[in-house]
Amino acid sequence: MTPSLTQKKWQRFVSIRRGFVSFVLLMVMIFFSLFAEVFVNSRALVVFHGGKLFFPTYGEMISGNRFGLAYDYETDYRALQARFRAEKAGDWVVMPLVPFNAYENDLKDGTYPPFPPSLGDRHFLGTDNVGRDILARLIYGFRTAMGFSVILLVLNYSIGISLGCAMGYFGGRFDLLVQRILEVWSNIPFLYVVIIVSSVMVPSFMILLCIMAFFGWIQMTWVMRTMTYREKEREYVLAARSLGASHARIIFKHIIPNTVSVIVTYAPFAISGGIVALTSLDYLGFGLPAPTPSWGELLQQGWTNMGAWWISASVVAALVITLMIVTFTGEGIREALDPKMHTTYE
Amino acid sequence: MIAYFIRRLLLVIPTFIGITIMVFAITRFVPGGPIERIIADARQMQSMGQGGGAGDSVAGAGQPLSEEQIDRLRHYYGFDKPLLESYFSWLGKVLKGDLGRSTRYYDPVWQMIRERIPISLYFGVLTMVIVYGVCIPLGIAKAVRHKSGFDNISSIVIFTGYAIPGWVAGVMLLVVFASWVDLFPLGGLVSDGFDDLSFVEKAVDLFRHTLLPLLSYVLGSFTVMTLLMKNTLMDNLASDYVRTAIAKGMSFKKAVFRHALQNSLIPIATHFGNNVSIILTGSFLIEKVFNINGMGLLGYESVVDRDYPVVMGILVISSLLFMLGNILSDLCVALVDPRVRFK
Repeated sequence: MTPSLTQKKWQRFVSIRRGFVSFVLLMVMIFFSLFAEVFVNSRALVVFHGGKLFFPTYGEMISGNRFGLAYDYETDYRALQARFRAEKAGDWVVMPLVPFNAYENDLKDGTYPPFPPSLGDRHFLGTDNVGRDILARLIYGFRTAMGFSVILLVLNYSIGISLGCAMGYFGGRFDLLVQRILEVWSNIPFLYVVIIVSSVMVPSFMILLCIMAFFGWIQMTWVMRTMTYREKEREYVLAARSLGASHARIIFKHIIPNTVSVIVTYAPFAISGGIVALTSLDYLGFGLPAPTPSWGELLQQGWTNMGAWWISASVVAALVITLMIVTFTGEGIREALDPKMHTTYE
Repeated sequence: MIAYFIRRLLLVIPTFIGITIMVFAITRFVPGGPIERIIADARQMQSMGQGGGAGDSVAGAGQPLSEEQIDRLRHYYGFDKPLLESYFSWLGKVLKGDLGRSTRYYDPVWQMIRERIPISLYFGVLTMVIVYGVCIPLGIAKAVRHKSGFDNISSIVIFTGYAIPGWVAGVMLLVVFASWVDLFPLGGLVSDGFDDLSFVEKAVDLFRHTLLPLLSYVLGSFTVMTLLMKNTLMDNLASDYVRTAIAKGMSFKKAVFRHALQNSLIPIATHFGNNVSIILTGSFLIEKVFNINGMGLLGYESVVDRDYPVVMGILVISSLLFMLGNILSDLCVALVDPRVRFK
């Protein structure tokens, strides 16, 4: 059996080493960040106490009373671990690799944060200006940024694809009108409006997403409009129409499947664009509300406190690695879907 | 052709009105404008000046200004008129060349912008010179040696550069070269005692302040330019006329420089017009990181301070530049490519 076109494209993508390795790495990173609670958390993985096993990672918080401690609030598992070790009564606690969450301030008597990286304290990348673990904030920040960019991508693409398709397919006066609107829209300084709006109300995740989507759909609309225009003139569309296919059928069954390669090519770059935009806004202080772990906020801390090199070094490294992986994936996809094979001269 | 460009120029007008009216409306409905700020300032002064004396009987509780005063402020800033009316009175002033006065510094907006333009222009022009000067030869070299070791390694470097936003690289450069190794200053364009320095010292000082921001600027357009050059040149090398030339016995070098290269410069020329607005307005993130008082930082600060006349003034200039830049791009294409005919 001959491989289908999609299979061929996939094989070509796999054969582009740099792109494929980046793609696998990206998937692994996203997968691990989804289960970040298991690796980076102030809650223990497993607690053995009084002949029973506890798994506090997910689910309700377990109060200190449960483990024979004299308080009602959530158990301090790091202290519990130290206590069990001292008691040597057969009870034990298994902590995650990084035993801190992204919000708690791990302070020391006598000195002030930020603390440099230290294996002994289990702050592998040090702490930030208020004593929060940087590695924890990086990992949870990655999850926030990725989630944000993916949802933003879906929003932008649904608006862009439907409107762009309609513009290209129906053309005429509708196309002309929407073109003018798009021109005005794309000239509004997007970041200015975001700053104005988000300095008025504290932007939650959803509000920020809506503002960004409000301005983000333009590029995809242009692309889809051009693509639809091109596809509409092809013979197969004419054939479908003369066979009596409805507009909806032509658009959804014929035109969109033929433009999918373009849509897919743009996706990784839209993701990296989303990450950069969110990081820039957080850096300026107009992004997500304060305690949310974010890379932009860490970068801001690194910029104000340049002596603490580990802050900016780790966040820049994380940002560069992530964006590089996303970009390489995008380049790989673009190369795999691009039918152009260049002639070279020996 | 001339008719086409006249039509394009005429289309600038409705788009310009659309853009400015949108932002004008936003500035109207957002709280925290100049009047709110004056009230807050007055309240602060009142609470400092009173010190237990009898409360001012004119103003209401917690309201330091009387109704009449607020009305006069509204009138002064034009907030008493309906949206469209005050928009058109603003537009009328702009057409006469009057951008108004800053509500924060009380300086004429045009003067504030004029002071900042040379700084952004300085970085913009230097960036352009470097980007064009390096990217075109590099793109040619990469296209000619496609899939060689040199091509692969430079591709990795270039994509790494593409992945990092310029301002993030700026933060990194500052931490490494200004804080860790004390080689370059932490920001600004000149040192404090700049006027007292000799000419050579001035040049050295300026250079030390310029290098790091310039690197961040260059990073932004470097990759796109190089790859554009490489890809178009490769498209042309694969086309029939180059194959014919080589088949007839022309040397490869001659085929590249005589035939393919000239045609490959067309997309680069297209890009040129888009650079106009970038040169002048700069990137406010880079200017903020390096504390450079250019147009970008002025725009950013005016938004944060709600200095609306300045926001609108910068919008007027940047949107006009952007649209004219687009037209200029098309004009460039028409000039270098005789096949292009605009109707």
